[in-house]
Order: sequence, then structure tokens, then C-alpha cells
Amino acid sequence: MSAMTRVTVSLAKREFTRFIRQPQRVVGTVAQPLLFWLFLGAGFGGSFRPAGMENVTYLEYFYPGVMLMMMLFASIFSSITIIEDRDAGFLQGVLAAPVPRLGIVLGKVLGSTSIALVQTLIFTIAAPFLGLHLGLGSLVLLLMGFVLTGIGFSALGFLLAWGMKSTSAFHAVMMVFLMPLWMLSGALFPLGNVPAAMKLVMLANPVSHALIIIRAPFYGGPVTLLADPQYLTSLAVTIAWAATCLGLSMIRVEKREKGVAAV
Amino acid sequence: MIRIDHLTHVYPGSRKTAPRTAISDLSLQVGDGEFAILSGPNGSGKSTLFRILCGLALPSSGTVHIGGFDLFTQAAKVRTILGVVFQSPAVDKHLSVAENLRIHADLYGLRGAEFSRRRDEALGWTDLADRLDQQVATLSGGLARQVELAKVLMTDPKVLLLDEPTTGLDPVSRRNFLDALHRLQKSRGMTVLMTSHVFAEADDVDRVAIMREGVLLAYDTPAALKAMIGTEMVVVQAKDTEGLAARLRSEMGLAVRCIGDEVRLEETENGESLPLLEKILDRYRPEVLSISIKQPGLDDVFVHVTSRAVPDHALALDLRRTGS
Repeated sequence: MSAMTRVTVSLAKREFTRFIRQPQRVVGTVAQPLLFWLFLGAGFGGSFRPAGMENVTYLEYFYPGVMLMMMLFASIFSSITIIEDRDAGFLQGVLAAPVPRLGIVLGKVLGSTSIALVQTLIFTIAAPFLGLHLGLGSLVLLLMGFVLTGIGFSALGFLLAWGMKSTSAFHAVMMVFLMPLWMLSGALFPLGNVPAAMKLVMLANPVSHALIIIRAPFYGGPVTLLADPQYLTSLAVTIAWAATCLGLSMIRVEKREKGVAAV
Repeated sequence: MIRIDHLTHVYPGSRKTAPRTAISDLSLQVGDGEFAILSGPNGSGKSTLFRILCGLALPSSGTVHIGGFDLFTQAAKVRTILGVVFQSPAVDKHLSVAENLRIHADLYGLRGAEFSRRRDEALGWTDLADRLDQQVATLSGGLARQVELAKVLMTDPKVLLLDEPTTGLDPVSRRNFLDALHRLQKSRGMTVLMTSHVFAEADDVDRVAIMREGVLLAYDTPAALKAMIGTEMVVVQAKDTEGLAARLRSEMGLAVRCIGDEVRLEETENGESLPLLEKILDRYRPEVLSISIKQPGLDDVFVHVTSRAVPDHALALDLRRTGS
């Protein structure tokens, strides 16, 4: 096993162990989106009649959106524990150790992704009750969608959290920046008849593309999807997004705070 | 083993504050297998120096070599021979002792039989043997520090850096920690640099460095440092400290200094102190609350060295300004 894998696995395992040791965190992160889904589903169900989707209930429409929300929030909130790690001193110990810097980033990011994945997979149990049946191929594509989304957003969380002094600053960024991105992704309502300007926002919004690769496997097998230009575009955008955030995170970690030239 | 040359570190200023020099042209060497203590008042630049030494910050200028490697260009090499004990505990409180050791071993590439051997060896001197599965959060402060030191020693570092490791420990735990540290340092021949402002910790080390405002004021063996202020000193506590000091200066021609609520007469030779004490008592009896002859300790050296450059009345102000 290379040094990189060893460090990554060890640090990711730590994230996961910490997560399971805090049962309220497990319950909270699973229950919150679930309630969101049930309440909004019950409330909007009657009035949800978008053109071209007459036989889709709101519960079903919103279902992949809630999965996306779970991946998004769980992975981002797990990776902001980097702020705690720094305050508690654990991070200093890791930084002083002879480990590849990318391993530090990957350990946190993959740990966060796996935490988010477990929660989302529990939620996948609801699919058959909505009349959604996943073939093996679709399931694999769905999993891939989850993992890529998780990596992309954990890495974004890592990047945002690295320079921050407190978790409360992070929550502010979350509410004014990430929440709107999620709402404008099509997760909550279809963006079919929105103004052109908003359409542009949607295209530039990585969360929209993440939603596409999570929603598509419920409605198509690998053969159709891998030939669908929209699916492939979204897949490419999500991969590029994840790679960019990982790369930038590594550069951030690599950089040591430097004194300025003597006066 | 540790070689610091002309190190300067300036923190960038902001719109409202000017850039601040934390370390200024500091050079210092710790020889192979030596135990050195770095001390100084708050804000003296100790912590900045420590952050640079363990590779978390880059200085404005100057070089540092650890074990022959350049810390700034060969950081990865230095990290393999370096062990660091931080002031804030670098163990994960939610994990057990064993899990913490395991992660540390993974970071340093220790595994299999080698890991078990080193772990048992590193735990040998601790009181942790039957607490391996306990979460660190449930351990006492002293035991948590033991986990920290055991973890760092497991990787067999050639150079060990410690930042105020005994902060928050009760006197017994502190003594135990230091005894273990000294014993292990000797048996393993480690080079140790430890920051501390508790001078009881410095008496049995090889060298003591004293910093103030980013400048190295003194760096020598404890014995040589103590010799700087003579072998004895007379310490007077008076009703009016400043008043008595002034009178001693003008009426007896003595070079006294006011340190806190004490008037001190340092640099007296052996045998001179007692007659001096009697003379002061004769003349100023009603003024004096207590008077004694003291063997200077390292804390006296520290006070002497860090306050020498400024007039006594400016000291209090000055310390407040540099305090962080």
C-alpha cells in the first residue's frame, strides 16, 4: 500500500469512526432531509402540475433532489470539521507528519463522502415505494453520481473551511451561497419555464449537473444514459468540478503561512 | 542537530496595524543529544519560532537546518526525523488510546510487528497499559499528555520539539511527565527543544535560551546563566518599594533594582550579602517588611535578563505592550 493510500484510508476511517460515535449526528442528518421531503411533499403534492410531467407526483419529483441535498449537506458539514481539527490540535499533528499533502485532503474528503453516502443509501430504500425500480446498471451509475457529488462538495467544503476561523462563519456562507445553488438546481421545482437569465445560472451551477447525474439513473439504464449528451455533459462537469476543488484544496494545504519581508 | 541562522519573521500588517516583527535575526544551535529549553515572556516570539521549526510557517528570512536537512527546501525529509508535541493536544479525544496510536503509526508508515514492538516500547513508561480502549476524552490531563508523548516517541524521532507540554498539569503529573521525558531523552540520545516558562523545569537541562521581543537575550547552561547575576542576592520587601530603592541608591550607593514589589540587590559576591543585609536593616528597619539572602534561581536570571534593557519603571508597561 502506498503512503498516500495508507494515510488517506487511515484519516478517512477516523472521520467515519467519529461520525458513528455521535448518534445524534447520525439521526440528525438522516432525519432532517427526510422530514423536509415528507412535509414539502405533502404540502406541494396537490398543486404540482408541471407541463410534461403529469404522471409524476411531487414526492417522486423531489426524491432525487432530497438525495442531492443529503449528499451536499452531509459531505460539506463533515468536511468543515477541519475547523475543529485545527482548533483541537489534531490537524497540527497531521501536518507535522511526513505525509503527502494530498493524502490529508483525500482523507477528509473521502471520509466525508462515505458518511454522506451511507445516509443517502439508507434513503434509497424509499425508491420502490415510489414506483421507481433500479436495475443493476442504473444502481452503479447512481452510486457513481453520489460519490462524485460527495467528493466535489466535500472538497468545496474543505476549501472554504480551511481559511475560516469559526464554524459560524461557515454557516453564513452555507446559507447565502450553497442553499441558493441547491434551490436553483431544479431539486425543489422544475426550471422549465424560468427566465433566460436564470437558465444561465442553472447551466453554470454545478449543483444542477450533480442533480442530473443523480436523477437520470432512476429513469434510464446505462445504455441510454451513456449515449445521452446532456447526461455526459453533466457527468464531465461534475468530474471537472471535483478535480478542481481537490486540486485547489491541495494547494491550500501545501501553502505555509509566510512572514513578509523585513521592514 | 538544530541550527537556526539569522532567522527573522515579520507578520504582515493590515490597514489598521503595522507589520509586526516576531523574531529578529535569531541564531541558535542545539547540539546532538542536547536538551534545550526556550523561554521568554508572552509575546516574545517563542510560539512563532516553534511554528517555524515544526514546519507550519515560513519565516521572512534566515535558514533552519534540522539533522542536516534544510527545513524550508527539504521539509519532507525533516518531518521523518522530527517529533512534535504541541501545546494543544494533537490527539483525537473521541477516539481511544489505541486508535490514536494506530493513526499516528499510519501517518509515519509503521505497521505489522514493527508497529506492535514500537507501540509496546512507547507505552512501557506510561500508565496507559490497561486503558488502551478508553476514549482519550475520559482520561485525566496527565494521562492524555502521556498518550501524546507515547504517540510521538513511537516513531523514534531524532529531534523532539515540545511547546509548553506541561501547561494545565498538576505538579505531580508535571514532575512525572518531565522525569519520563528526561529519562527517555538520555536513553535514546534525542535532541530536545522545549518551550517553557516554568523555570523549575529548566534546572536539569543542558541549555536555556531566553528570548524577548523576538531577540535572543541569552543562551547558555543553567549554571553559567546563574553566574551572570552573582552567587547571592539580597531581596527586600518594603512598605514603599520605589522610595526605599531610591534611598538605597542615593544614600548607600547601591545598584538596586525594583522587580515587582521587591527591591533586589543582585551581583553580590559570596560573603558580602550578610553584612549588607545587616547594614540595610540597621538603617531602614521601619521601612522593611522582610529581607532575605537568596541563591539566584533561573527565574531570577529570567527576570534579570528580560528586564535589563529597560528602566525599571517602564517594565510593567513594556510587558503589557508585548503581551499577546
